[in-house]
Amino acid sequence: PAVTRENNCLNAAKACNLNDTCKKYRSAYISPCTSRVSTAEVCNKRKCHKALRQFFDKVPPKHSYGMLFCSCPAGDQSACSERRRQTIVPVCSYEDKEKPNCLSLQASCKTNYICRSRLADFFANCQSEPRSLSGCLKENYADCLLSYSGLIGTVMTPNYLRSPKISVVPYCDCSSSGNGKEECDKFTEFFTDNTCLRKAIHAFGNGTDVGVWQPMPPV
Amino acid sequence: RIKPVEGRGCLLKEVHLNVTDLGLGYRTKEELIFRYCSGPCSDAETNYDKILNNLTHNKKLVKDTPSRTCCRPITFDDDLSFLDDNNEDYHILRKHSARKCGCV
Repeated sequence: PAVTRENNCLNAAKACNLNDTCKKYRSAYISPCTSRVSTAEVCNKRKCHKALRQFFDKVPPKHSYGMLFCSCPAGDQSACSERRRQTIVPVCSYEDKEKPNCLSLQASCKTNYICRSRLADFFANCQSEPRSLSGCLKENYADCLLSYSGLIGTVMTPNYLRSPKISVVPYCDCSSSGNGKEECDKFTEFFTDNTCLRKAIHAFGNGTDVGVWQPMPPV
Repeated sequence: RIKPVEGRGCLLKEVHLNVTDLGLGYRTKEELIFRYCSGPCSDAETNYDKILNNLTHNKKLVKDTPSRTCCRPITFDDDLSFLDDNNEDYHILRKHSARKCGCV
């Protein structure tokens, strides 16, 4: 008999809507991220990004991370991981008409002070260290997850790839990198193939590292 | 602007439901807390309501039964959003649940 597997991402969405704060800020970003503004634009990306930043700012990590870092069965390509991919409403917050080169995206991030500082945090806090048990140079999963979620709502907004193992990347690639190909690949691999980030996400999803989020007073 | 009258019996109640229980035709497994207003408003009646009561009793109003004071939402809860079972479309419900009740 087929065993119905728990969909942790669905459970996190249910929990969010039963919490007044999470419910409020979730709708507050779903609305701008799904409202078509013209025949040419699927949404107002600036408003969508701003509301997403607010969501991760105001909602306790227990709920916001619960939806963003929910764990799905390995290799699951359906309900659970697709829901996780949809958390940030990628059609508006992530995808674009054209896919820029990652180094040019990085350059445009550096012209914005929020994006520049959040990208620097991410590189500092999610740096891998193969010799450490945690997989991270700074052995602090919470800081890594916080800096990753801090990128959501900037031009560097990352999202999950449709891949069997956890892999994330901003909306860019390394085509037409010219002599910057090596640097570009290094940049994308920090997202797509980052042991520290992957372990931090797994630890949150499995609840194996309870110190990852600050305990919140009961609502 | 409607100024609601205090009705001691008119209260905000809540029930935990599946979105599909609402019967609005959505296909989703998500859930919500639905809050509604319920209870008597007899202690909040005005002369207007008493007159209506008398007039309907005495059959002075032909074929008309105007509504009396009702326990109704005077403020609505925040919007509710959820992902459709197709894992692609989000839906938003507005003015679907009560936040404050009053006899109006």
